Amino acid sequence: MSMTFQGYERSNGEVGIRNYVLLLSMVHCANTVTQQISWKTGAQAITHDFGCIEFEDKHARTRLSLLSAALNPNVFAVVLVGLGCEQTDHESLRKEIAEAGKPVSYVGIQESGGSMEAVEKGTELVKEYQRQAETLERKEFPISKLVLGVQCGGSDWTTALSGNATIGAMTDLVTAEGGSVIISEVSGFPGSEHILAERAVTPEVGLEVIKMCDELREEYVLLHGQKIEEVNPSPGNKAGGITTMVEKSMGNVKKMGVTSKLQGLIYAGQHVPSAGLWMLDLRAPAIDANATSGFAMSGAHIDVFSTGRGTPMGNAVMPVLKLTGNPKSFAEMGSMLDFNAGVVMEGTPIAEAGKALLEKVIEVANGEKTKSEINGDFEFIIPRENNR
Amino acid sequence: MRALQVDINDNVAVVAQAVAEGEKVCVNDLEITAAGNIPIGHKIALCDIPAGEMVVKYGVPIGRANMDIKKGSHVHTQNTEDITTQLCQEYAKAFKKKVGAEK
Repeated sequence: MSMTFQGYERSNGEVGIRNYVLLLSMVHCANTVTQQISWKTGAQAITHDFGCIEFEDKHARTRLSLLSAALNPNVFAVVLVGLGCEQTDHESLRKEIAEAGKPVSYVGIQESGGSMEAVEKGTELVKEYQRQAETLERKEFPISKLVLGVQCGGSDWTTALSGNATIGAMTDLVTAEGGSVIISEVSGFPGSEHILAERAVTPEVGLEVIKMCDELREEYVLLHGQKIEEVNPSPGNKAGGITTMVEKSMGNVKKMGVTSKLQGLIYAGQHVPSAGLWMLDLRAPAIDANATSGFAMSGAHIDVFSTGRGTPMGNAVMPVLKLTGNPKSFAEMGSMLDFNAGVVMEGTPIAEAGKALLEKVIEVANGEKTKSEINGDFEFIIPRENNR
Repeated sequence: MRALQVDINDNVAVVAQAVAEGEKVCVNDLEITAAGNIPIGHKIALCDIPAGEMVVKYGVPIGRANMDIKKGSHVHTQNTEDITTQLCQEYAKAFKKKVGAEK
């Protein structure tokens, strides 16, 4: 197996695996213009319902999310699209993105003389950046430069047994080669904190994990007067055969493999400080796009996503490589799934499937498009935590 | 019919097809007769699990039998109590004690 990949070196020393040109809407008033530039150019757009008359702490999260998406190493250049009188300060964003070495411009609807004029101006800017991106060449880099997010969603009874187990085998291979893997979906961890804590690189990190799980459990009681096991697993989980929260949690924890040591916790917008396995402590509602967007904001290059039932999930700044542990799902939904870990259900050893998954990850890093990219699934949501 | 035992210490296995009462289910070298219908992906008891004993999957207790569960039975919410909070508290306490953060 080739333990290198072909990426694009950025001027700040980071390595990207794509040369995305990203359109960022500064405020909901600019969403349609942003989308129209996207339709004309094929560039991904992030739109949202925020950016004006927000409380300070909420706006801080809006800004952090937009900036962090722009700073993902897969983004080559950025076009900011605003109205002109919004709360979001486009100039400070432009400056920070430029300081990271990325080409970046701002298009204001009011100063352009109207929405159609802004679409025209933005389209020209994106096309120019796309021309510049075409001149860049890939170079060989070791896997130690690669950062992966791992998650699961649209789960079924195979997710823990084959899908997540295959991701876990891949995680161990990546961290053994000096690469980085980020886990999150923290609401799924109470019930396996002993596994997580024992895997921590120091007792201090182990205690942080225990504290996080304690807080997550206690929140159910404080806010809703219910124990975690009274709410989770969901009725759908139970119909699928998951009986208890511990059982669900043990399926979740499979994605961190067996040998990888947990290096520590990182928070929204923070990149991994060093190589290895990291936990993104993102306490946003447990919908798939929150974790995916969180990984993108932490600079992940690819999200490796296990789904038993199938999902179209993609991301604006990362290819999402979707695998299923269910051979039937792979046969029926091949148009949105990239890898069949269902072979594990048919007798292939998990280690072998994990190795094959890593080979697929490297192909995607080298430029092979994932189904999410082919299908144009470029989701991004602002992960809101603790009412912020 | 086949069922998958995840960890050697587990007293349940996951059926890889829907199983009807009376059908034989193979788990490793063991052959078990299903004591009732079991949907795909659900658990079958590999031995008798007396009331009060732990249901073990992934090598860890996932819940507590709240009635006697006979070998071959469908193991799910109707006979297994979710004691996640209790287990979590025990795990947290044991880890803190181990690393000297709590006596």
